[in-house]
Order: sequence, then structure tokens, then C-alpha cells
Amino acid sequence: MIEKGKIWKFSGVILIVYVIIAGLLIPLKSGIESVEPSYGNAGETLKIQVTGYNTHFKEAGNSLRAWLKWDNGKAIAAAEMVALDERRMNLTFSIPNNLPENTEVQAVTLLIDSETDGTSVLPSAIFLTQTEKVLATEEVPWVKPENFSNNGQITFPFRNILGETIRNTYFHVPLWFGMMFLFLFAVIHSIKYLRKGDAESDLKAEAYTQTGIFYGLLGLITGALWAKNTWGAYWSWDIKQNMTVVALLIYAAYFILRASFEDPEKRARVCAAYGIFAFSTLIPLLYVIPRLTDSLHPGSGGNPAFGSQDLDNTMRMVFYPAVIGFTLFGFWLSSLQFRYLRLQKLREDVD
Amino acid sequence: MKDLHFILLLLRKEFLLEFRTRSAISGIFLYVISTLFVVYETFVKIQPNVWNTLFWIILLFVAVNAMVKSFVQEKGNRVLYYYSLLNPSHVLIAKIVYNTLLLLVLSLLIWGLFIFFGDNPVKDLGLFLLILLLGSFGFSVTFTFLASLVAASNQSSTLLAVLSFPLIIPIILMLVKISAHALRLIQDTAVSGDLAILVAIDLLLCGVALLLFPFIWRD
Repeated sequence: MIEKGKIWKFSGVILIVYVIIAGLLIPLKSGIESVEPSYGNAGETLKIQVTGYNTHFKEAGNSLRAWLKWDNGKAIAAAEMVALDERRMNLTFSIPNNLPENTEVQAVTLLIDSETDGTSVLPSAIFLTQTEKVLATEEVPWVKPENFSNNGQITFPFRNILGETIRNTYFHVPLWFGMMFLFLFAVIHSIKYLRKGDAESDLKAEAYTQTGIFYGLLGLITGALWAKNTWGAYWSWDIKQNMTVVALLIYAAYFILRASFEDPEKRARVCAAYGIFAFSTLIPLLYVIPRLTDSLHPGSGGNPAFGSQDLDNTMRMVFYPAVIGFTLFGFWLSSLQFRYLRLQKLREDVD
Repeated sequence: MKDLHFILLLLRKEFLLEFRTRSAISGIFLYVISTLFVVYETFVKIQPNVWNTLFWIILLFVAVNAMVKSFVQEKGNRVLYYYSLLNPSHVLIAKIVYNTLLLLVLSLLIWGLFIFFGDNPVKDLGLFLLILLLGSFGFSVTFTFLASLVAASNQSSTLLAVLSFPLIIPIILMLVKISAHALRLIQDTAVSGDLAILVAIDLLLCGVALLLFPFIWRD
């Protein structure tokens, strides 16, 4: 049987294993990757080729339906649908002579629905141009897209540009959460040291800071890999990336400070004070300054935030366990590191 | 009232010590003048946006050099003597106030020399003076506190730079942003909000420093 005090360690590992399996294996929902061409004119018969992601156009067969939809709710159904293969399909629309809105260029949303894949949406898929209104009245077969199919599969949402990198939510973000918890515990142990003067608290603060930096580096690397795929470069000199490096520099300085004192008691006292002071600058550094400037990072400047509308229920089922799992695992790493530091200190005392 | 009395006494002590050992303060003044001279020799013509950054960077380096000796004198027996007499918070407050005044004078000197060698890009004098004060206070709090941490080590000046530069970034970013406004480089309606954030950061660091200093001071 597992000892009572070890349950949290095992649950941390089990949660991380679950996150790796579920987070990497659950497929993305089918979606529309691109439309070619993405523009057209009023009154013409528009033929477009749709490229899907994780779609099964051939398999869907007769259950396929497609619409072009305007913002005011009006939509036209596709006149003809030819599936070339599972991922490519030709659609033909008869665009009405009089477009339903008053602007010259109007963006329309493409909706595709089938029994095998469920519903896929691409906002602003096609830009339609209307130079002048045609006076003759015409009967436009307006329809209302409805009776959407639900294929009942468990999937993660498909987002253009993000694609498969949406899975980084289960690694990058929880690592950051874990890092903040670890730094917080380092501060708590520093405060404990200053109040009680217990040498073990000092070692604990050091161990938590070390694992915190380790998590911070992993968070930085996972973020940079994600940025390469979505922003186009590992490093974009984005304010969030810069402030992260500054935060890590602050904690790197902690170890320089540790190394430069001979007397263990003096070292412990100075490092505890610096650790608390450094943590209090993290708050403006990570949570105030980045909000004042434009950033590419999700959560600012009109980018999708990590909030209620960006996590669907399936993602929540993986994301919350990931936060808890990585945090518990960080605590385990810290306790191992603490025991190592304590043994090292014992050996020094014996020598 | 008694607190204020002690702080003023300590402040007077700082001024007296500085006045008696004039070599340190004249060294800093000379440091400022030579830096400015090197800057103008190499840059020749300075654009306002470069001026803005350069001004604060120079002040940052001047501050590190001026503050590092804050606690160097307070070593050995004299600390023991102070320790029996004084409240540590009074010591820190007096040092912070003294260093703020010193930095304010130094920043005015840098500004004056910039005007003397080149021209004056500052359009909003009141705002600029206000952030000189807030900046001097923020620098003074951070550097004085960290100087007290590194005073006991052998290589305090390198250590102070390594510790303080990442920590000073929130303050210096706010300063450059608001001062860009005082130079009319950007039009921003949120300048009062930025000032409030700067004041909040200054006060946060000052509060934490005051809480922690008694623990470091005891030797």
C-alpha cells in the first residue's frame, strides 16, 4: 500500500501521465483550413475549393451541407458540392445580384456541416464586392442554417493558425502556474527563516527557488516553440517574453548572491531578504507592465485570452488536472532537491 | 515626533559625513561630467527619443556608483554602537531620504549638462520634475536596500549591479514611458494612470524594504 504522506506525489505523477496521454491523443475537431479563392463579386457563380483539417468529405457523402452566411443572419446554401478527397471539396455558390448589406465589400462566413464531422465554421472566409445595386428585383433563396449534426466525438476545438499547437495550453500554462506556486512557497519559507532562524527553512527556500527556475525555463522553452509555429519566430521581443527573462534573471541573481557569502547564517539572512524583495517586484513585472503595452501573447491586444470563451469543456477536463499535476510534481521535485541539499550540508559539516 | 527627530539626526549625520569626506561626492560629480562628455563626443547629435533613454540609463549607472558605498562605512564596531542606540527603520529611512536627495541633485546636474552641451528636449517641465523625484525615490529605495544586502560581501559593486538591474526594470520602464510623454514623443491620455502605477511600485518596494531591513541589519 502507498503511505499516506506519499499520496500527493503519486497523484501528481498520475495526473501528468493522464495529461500527456489525453492532451496529445484526443484529436482536434474538424475545421476549415483555407478557401481558394477568398474573394468574389455580386451576381456571379462562385466556385471555391475548400481545404479542411481532420475532415472526411468523401465519407460524409450525402450528409454534407454548406452555407455562406452574412452577419445579419441571411445565408445561401451551396448549389453544388463535389468532394475531391477527404480534405478537399469544390463548392459552387450563386451569389445574389444584390448583397444584403450596404458596404461595398462584405465578409461572409463559410459553414460546413456533415454527420461524420459535425459543424465547421470559417469566419470572413470570402470577401464579396458589390460595385452597384441592380435595380431589378430578384428572388434570392435565403435559408437559415439549422439542424446541425453532432457526431458525439470527444475533440479539442480547431482554431485557425493555432491548429495542433492548442495542446500547448496543457503544458506551457500549467508550468507557469506551477512556477508561481513554487516561488510563492520559496517566499513563505524565507519569511519563516527570518522569523524563526531555522536553517532548514533556508534550504527549503533554496530548493523551491531552484525548481521554480527550472519550471520557468521549461515554460519559456514551450512558449518559444509555440511562438515559432504561430508568431513565426522563437523570439519576437514581445513584452511578455522580455519580462519573463527579466524574472528569471532576478532569480539567477539569487544564486550569485548565495555564492558570494561564506558565513552560512549571514548568507541565509541576506538571501531570504532578497528573495522576498525579488518576489514583490515580480508582481509589477509579470502582471502590471505587460498589460500597458501591446503584446502578441494571448490575453492582450485583442488576441484570444485564456478565459472562459477560449477553453471549452473538453479542454478544461485536461487543463485543470494539468495545473494540479504539474504543481504537485514541482513540490515533489523541490522536496527531493531539499533532501539533497540537506545531505550535502551534512557532509560539509562532517568534513 | 520622536521618530522624526531621530531620522533628522541621522540625516544630518549623513550630510556631515559626506561633507567631511568630500572625495566620494566629488568623485560622483566628476563621473557624471565625464560620462556626459563621452556621450556627446560619441553621439554628436542626440535625437529626443535617444535622449530620453540615454538620460535614464546614465542616471541608473550614476545611481549604482553613488549608492554602493551607502553601508560600507557601517561596519564592525560602529554598527554595534548604532545597534544599541537606534531603531533600524530610522537608519534605513534616513539613508533613503539622503540618497533620494543626492540622486535628485545628480539628475538635475545631468539634465543641466545635457542642456549645456546640447539643447533641452523636455516640453513639460512640471511632469519631468515630478518623475525625476519619483525616479530618484524608486532608485534610492532599491539601491539602498540592495546595498545593505551586499555590504558584507567582498565584491559589492558587481553584486549590486547584478542584483539591482533586473529589479529596477519595472521602475525604469515606467519612467521612460512617462518621460517620453514629458518630451511630447507620445500622446497618451493615460499618463496619470502610469504615474499612479509608478508611485505604487515605489511604495511597494519601500514598504517591503522597511519590513526586511531590521533582519539584515542585525549582525
